[in-house]
Amino acid sequence: MRPHSSLKQEFLKKWIMGLQRCSFSKKNMSILERKKAIKFSADIAMASARNGTTCWSRSLISNASKEGSDIHVVEQILGSESDRPAVENKVPTRRASVCKKIVKRSCRIRRRRRRRKCVASAPSSIAKHLVRKRREVLKSLIPGGEFMNEICLIEETLDYITSLRVQVDVMRSLASASVRASE
Amino acid sequence: MESNPGTTETRSNLTASDGGQVTAFESLQFTDEIHRLILAPTTINASSFTALVELPPPQAVELLHSPDSTKFIAAKPPNVEDFKGSFRFPSNTSLIEPDARFSVFSGEANNGNENRDSPVSKILNSNLEKAVKSEPAETESAQPLVSDPPVEKRRIKRKGRENKVKGSTKKSKTAVNESSEDAEKLPYVHVRARRGQATDSHSLAERARREKINARMKFLQELVPGCNKISGTALVLDEIINHVQSLQRQVEFLSMRLAAVNPRIDFNLDSVFTSESGSLMDSNFPGLVMPVMWPEVQGDGHRQQYQHQWNSDALQQPVWGREVHNNYITPEKSLLTYDSSANSVTLQANQLKMEL
Repeated sequence: MRPHSSLKQEFLKKWIMGLQRCSFSKKNMSILERKKAIKFSADIAMASARNGTTCWSRSLISNASKEGSDIHVVEQILGSESDRPAVENKVPTRRASVCKKIVKRSCRIRRRRRRRKCVASAPSSIAKHLVRKRREVLKSLIPGGEFMNEICLIEETLDYITSLRVQVDVMRSLASASVRASE
Repeated sequence: MESNPGTTETRSNLTASDGGQVTAFESLQFTDEIHRLILAPTTINASSFTALVELPPPQAVELLHSPDSTKFIAAKPPNVEDFKGSFRFPSNTSLIEPDARFSVFSGEANNGNENRDSPVSKILNSNLEKAVKSEPAETESAQPLVSDPPVEKRRIKRKGRENKVKGSTKKSKTAVNESSEDAEKLPYVHVRARRGQATDSHSLAERARREKINARMKFLQELVPGCNKISGTALVLDEIINHVQSLQRQVEFLSMRLAAVNPRIDFNLDSVFTSESGSLMDSNFPGLVMPVMWPEVQGDGHRQQYQHQWNSDALQQPVWGREVHNNYITPEKSLLTYDSSANSVTLQANQLKMEL
């Protein structure tokens, strides 16, 4: 019935592990802290379920690793230390230079566009303008999206949508089950 | 959620490819998933997209493993032989062609190079062009092909992976294929241009890129509900953005809900799962689940109450729908998924049990 049920299970396992780790560290948490912890561990679990194959998962994990406070959660979810460097090492070498070039180019283009400020009259250019705007919005939504070219962006979106759906499904079922359990 | 099959497991092959890793976009698993994804809702016609889905991946996998592009020849062997025989004069053969399409052969006008495999791998559909009118166009465009040193000009750099894209237009079909060759590392892009279109390498590359993007946009349209009827990239992107935003908001909302429900964030999974499955299935799994999940303190007293709680699902559903309505776009959809998600929890639990 659920074709990606194994992904769900994996996500659930990792998420539970992360939550346990969170609850080890802090004993009494306010509701907002709890929510943050839940969401954080859910995101990390979801990203680690990809095992570093997708760009958004890598950038999500690297962003999370930068904040020092919750890094132990990340470590636990990702497993041993050996996993993470293997993932992260792939990223900087090739992508960093490419990313920098892309970012520089996009900044240059944005500056040029701001200078022009001409309204395009041809319908095709208007359409292109609209599409470009939406693409930028999409880039801001997807973690790590600023560094992708268009093809990559669309693929990452596909993957991201499916994993978000998995996340939502698991969280919803867990929430409903625990609501029922607590009554 | 509709019948979206699990492309997730195969995404690992799909999405890394542009990062320079040589993982097959056209992995076989991906083929199956995409088959289910695409062929179920849409009818199988001669449209290029389903053809793209069906034909290239298995052949491309073969192509990856054994770069013998002769395997890739699909539809028209006589054309292949023609080209093989007269590989020095591609322009002439293209003129002779009944379809009157212009084919670009990279490296074929190179006389002495016998190491190259036959680069022909066209998936031609039976679209008859107007042969007469296109011939002058072809002669014009054929000349520059012959006169250039075609090897260097036609070498369009691959973006890091094998890729087959088909453009679907009403008039004609263009096939862009890459074949890997033994002798040289650089692949050649063999393109059939529509008539009246420019054939220099820039526009070819541009067109290939556009076809790639359009193919992926189609995948996205299939994935996001309600995008099938919309035409136009901007509106489809709008829908996609809305969908992603709504999913992210759902995650936020659900995490807040989970935080509110439990005083501690390690969940009472043991008893939760017993409540789900106790009424329906066997209850062997708690023993198995225990080693993995965190044993909860408060669980034991509540177990008896869970049985009749299961029956009050119907009461829960409207509550859920109302709560959810503020944040969701489609409340009826959430009701439906609530129903199925409850089932999925039991399935999940049982599968966890099998796994352990």
